[in-house]
Amino acid sequence: MARVTTGITSSHIPALGAAMQTGKSRDDYWGPVFKGYDPIKEWIAKPENTPDVIVLVYNDHASAFDMNIIPTFAIGCGERFKPADEGWGPRPVPDVIGHPDLAWHIAQSLILDDFDMCIFNQMDVDHGCTVPLSMMFGEPDEWPCKVIPFPVNVVTYPPPSGARCFALGDSIKAAVESFPEDLNVHVWGTGGMSHQLQGPRAGLINKDFDLKFIDMLINDPETLSKMPHIEYLREAGSEGIELVMWLIMRGALGDKVKDLYNFYHIPASNTALGALILQPEETAGEALDPRVVHSGHSLEAAE
Amino acid sequence: MTEKKKERIDIHAYLAEMEDIPGTRVFTAQRARKGYWLNQFAMSLMKEENRERFKADESAYLDEWNLTPAAKQAVLDRDYNAMIDEGGNVYFLSKLFSTDGQSFQKAAGSMTGMSEAEYAQMMINGGRSPEGVRSKKGGY
Ligand SMILES: [Fe+2]
Repeated sequence: MARVTTGITSSHIPALGAAMQTGKSRDDYWGPVFKGYDPIKEWIAKPENTPDVIVLVYNDHASAFDMNIIPTFAIGCGERFKPADEGWGPRPVPDVIGHPDLAWHIAQSLILDDFDMCIFNQMDVDHGCTVPLSMMFGEPDEWPCKVIPFPVNVVTYPPPSGARCFALGDSIKAAVESFPEDLNVHVWGTGGMSHQLQGPRAGLINKDFDLKFIDMLINDPETLSKMPHIEYLREAGSEGIELVMWLIMRGALGDKVKDLYNFYHIPASNTALGALILQPEETAGEALDPRVVHSGHSLEAAE
Repeated sequence: MTEKKKERIDIHAYLAEMEDIPGTRVFTAQRARKGYWLNQFAMSLMKEENRERFKADESAYLDEWNLTPAAKQAVLDRDYNAMIDEGGNVYFLSKLFSTDGQSFQKAAGSMTGMSEAEYAQMMINGGRSPEGVRSKKGGY
């Protein structure tokens, strides 16, 4: 039987990919960010932790989907997906190799479970999908696992509600668990945390909101899932709405989770960044040491 | 039907709240419709041959896209606030500033009235506080 063993969250900002490509990942600005990811990279490189398949929840940033088609929840069921050209040429990273059997199984199961999915075969994947892979796996010739791209619309309003995302995660878990093959499946939720990229309010960061969001995501996701969009917008900035996608990941882990690793950093370009490793409590492994790492502005002293 | 009636969100109240955030234009359907051609123009810059044609003659290239005069001028001026007023969305417009070789930080900063250096420093200092910029009506 396939199992969702792990949930991971990660920032997916293009600047992280650019920092790697241009050899800046250890400079004064980016060093603390990449240092914060090092323990995740080490953890996930251990064979027992490397997933067979990742269901990678992200938002397409007007790359595969333009104004012509705006799917709320989509799933990539194809064999492979190419990195998108977002205006500066495609990111120089390997193609994302799908898992059509599991993807179609999830798609069918979700539809039977009242989530009316949009199914894609041919689709380019943008930084939302490939930057988290780079952050976790570095710069390999090919990604060490299969990836099912799972784009969510958080660009054109209204995006799905937090409650709907949380329920979707639960349905993904059920779908994975009814797949007969023995697979270690991760569900990743990407994007966030607080940030705003537009207008005179650009540059908004809300550390208190973000840290509370992480805490509730771990301990009380049900209540968190009821938070209305307007609160994300007011508190976490217009692009902070990406955080609803983390609730899909959380919903796929069941009632109680253990946080193996909990990293938060301000700033990464325009954003606050959060990266977590969560596992269902019953099957959770050892926490990393240190378990909590906060870095960046006003955070040095944290735990 | 004996089932409890579903609690629904009032769409008018929902959309009204979206307009209540200072310095922010949420990408609602109304803006998406207004900016349809501007955003589709920006998308076209995902192809190298289009970027080349655009760079060779911006005005002529823009004339192919059914833009309002204000939207066209905003693009020529690289005035991102004005583009957003015309229904542009930052993720679409990112194809334009990427074509110019600019980063998200530079483009976002250009909309705040701050210099590039001031904006970068604000981010290093922990970013813009939400204090006082959460609600126009509430003033908090
Ligand atoms: Fe994003």
